[in-house]
Amino acid sequence: MSTPVISVSNVTKVFDGGDNRVVALDNVTMHVDRGEMVAIMGPSGSGKSTLMTVIGLLDVPSSGRYMLDGIDTSTLDRDAQAAVRNQKIGFVFQNFNLLPRLTALQNVALPMVYGRIPPAEREARATAALVAVGLGNRLKNRPNELSGGQKQRVAIARSLVNNPEFLLADEPTGALDSRTGHEIMELFRTLNRTQGITVVVVTHDAEVGKQMDRIVSLRDGVINMDALHDYYGIATDDHGRVRTAVQEVVNVG
Amino acid sequence: MWGEQIRMAMESLRANKFRSLLTMLGIIIGSSTLVAVLSLGNALQGQVFESFIDLGTRRIGILPGDPDAAGARITSGYGLLSIKDYEALKTMTATYPDIFRVIVPEVSIKVRARAKTTEIDALVVGTGEGYQQVQSVPVEYGRFFTASESAESARVTVLGGLVVEDLFGKGPENKAAAVGQTVVINGQSLLVVGVVKAAGGPFSSDQRILVPAGTARLRIAGNQDLPGRGLQMSSILVGLKSEGKVTQAEALISQTLRDSRRLAAGAVDDFKLNSPTQSLNILKGINGAITGFIALVAGISLVVGGIGIMNIMLVAVTERTREIGVRKALGATDRDVLGQFVIEAITISLIGSLIGIGSAVALVLAIAAAAGLGMILSFPAIIISLVFALAIGVGFGYYPAKRAALLLPIEALRYE
Repeated sequence: MSTPVISVSNVTKVFDGGDNRVVALDNVTMHVDRGEMVAIMGPSGSGKSTLMTVIGLLDVPSSGRYMLDGIDTSTLDRDAQAAVRNQKIGFVFQNFNLLPRLTALQNVALPMVYGRIPPAEREARATAALVAVGLGNRLKNRPNELSGGQKQRVAIARSLVNNPEFLLADEPTGALDSRTGHEIMELFRTLNRTQGITVVVVTHDAEVGKQMDRIVSLRDGVINMDALHDYYGIATDDHGRVRTAVQEVVNVG
Repeated sequence: MWGEQIRMAMESLRANKFRSLLTMLGIIIGSSTLVAVLSLGNALQGQVFESFIDLGTRRIGILPGDPDAAGARITSGYGLLSIKDYEALKTMTATYPDIFRVIVPEVSIKVRARAKTTEIDALVVGTGEGYQQVQSVPVEYGRFFTASESAESARVTVLGGLVVEDLFGKGPENKAAAVGQTVVINGQSLLVVGVVKAAGGPFSSDQRILVPAGTARLRIAGNQDLPGRGLQMSSILVGLKSEGKVTQAEALISQTLRDSRRLAAGAVDDFKLNSPTQSLNILKGINGAITGFIALVAGISLVVGGIGIMNIMLVAVTERTREIGVRKALGATDRDVLGQFVIEAITISLIGSLIGIGSAVALVLAIAAAAGLGMILSFPAIIISLVFALAIGVGFGYYPAKRAALLLPIEALRYE
């Protein structure tokens, strides 16, 4: 089997706020292979957001090891971390996080600016990415001229533009109505099915979880469920992990 | 990358136009003051310099000693220059023809002068025919008085450019007509043989009535001679062969005067020597001090402007914490973020500086045109302004930018 894209081993994250010491992740181990569609689920306070920040290289674990595409992330300095975020991770946020003063095209081109890609190529690739998410006619619009669903499509185009190893989406439908949210999830699925892009979605929403292939569920900083399912609710196991129906997982959340 | 950073900086300035302008104000005022003051200061210094060049720097003025100076003896008539001193100097200068060119006295007497029905207060200066060699007295009409007129203490006079206007009226025809007329001073009728061109400035002969020294002493001063010492002189002027001989000449003059005045060894000089170079340096110093002071104020204004920039950049970093988090998540390094905010600060200070320089250039050119001063813009001042603004942008932008750069991505992203 090839190297997992994401390999989290015995990761613990402790927030030490003086009197209240919070163990957000307690000895968590999980792996994501290339081409998977994984939902990380759990109620608020379960540690799913903390796991997201660790996987996204936005924060470092207190202990344990995180291998990203075979790279031991504990060896990376701040600049190297920035480079890995730039080249290997495509972020999608709940509230889109587009820069308001930039056009859709400029927003999508931003990761390439930090990737030191020449302007002409930036424009071509950003345009192609926007066309791919169905916004070929919105290149010059600024975020305040776009609907919520369109903004999230711009954000997805931005996350894809440097051909990352995986997309990391934090509550990507949280700020959208259910129909638009469903469309965004369909877009993730299409990208996964047609281009083999690995997608990791962090969510508390069962409807979102249902649309993924595998669900990793956390509670109190511990993984209490890691299950595959085939979209019809029947789990299949090729990782030696718990076999279960997705409905059960969703109930945990 | 740089292009991108500058473009982003311009975008963010445009997004907060009024705030940006207010932030720039200190830099605008500082830069414009700096350029305007240095330009006008230079022009003023140039003018002073020119009026000195006019006089020639190859001369030494001998002035009476200051009775209030330290070491001065308390005697009546202390330090005054007498005919005896003048004669001693004249003999001495004649023995060093390779150093000295000419020597003339200046005997100044305040008088009432009358021409026809007009009467004015004026200053008679008695001197020699060599006066033209040590003082700027460009004769416009007529001629200067001659050696023989000087020797004979003839009743002739050359009128200063303003004196002639006061006595005979303005305009070239009145001035020209003054030659050949008579001016009456202390009951003595003097024939006007020449009129000096008005030069303006504090060192010109505009306000003076020039006459031979003997005429002033014998005919105009009458009994004003001090007993035993002869008529006092306001100064004695010595022309030199070359500027390089100033030190040598000053030593000779000092020794001659000390001997002539029988000063004991160790006693302080009861006379003063000055060369135009000296006065020029003093005036340059004063002008430089004033210019420097205003430039300092301008510099302070620039620094205050810089603090304004720092303040607004700190606000910007706080306001845009989320944006910084997003940029970092997308792969911006600390240096990218640092660069972005420093460039934004530099953009503010440089645009402010350019606006300031632009208004100063307009002002200076307007003044130059109005005063007929020609090209007086100080290009070094413009360069200094820009460099200063750049340094302030970097200096005061660095700290806020560093704060932005060091933000942790996760904290920046979570910032509400």
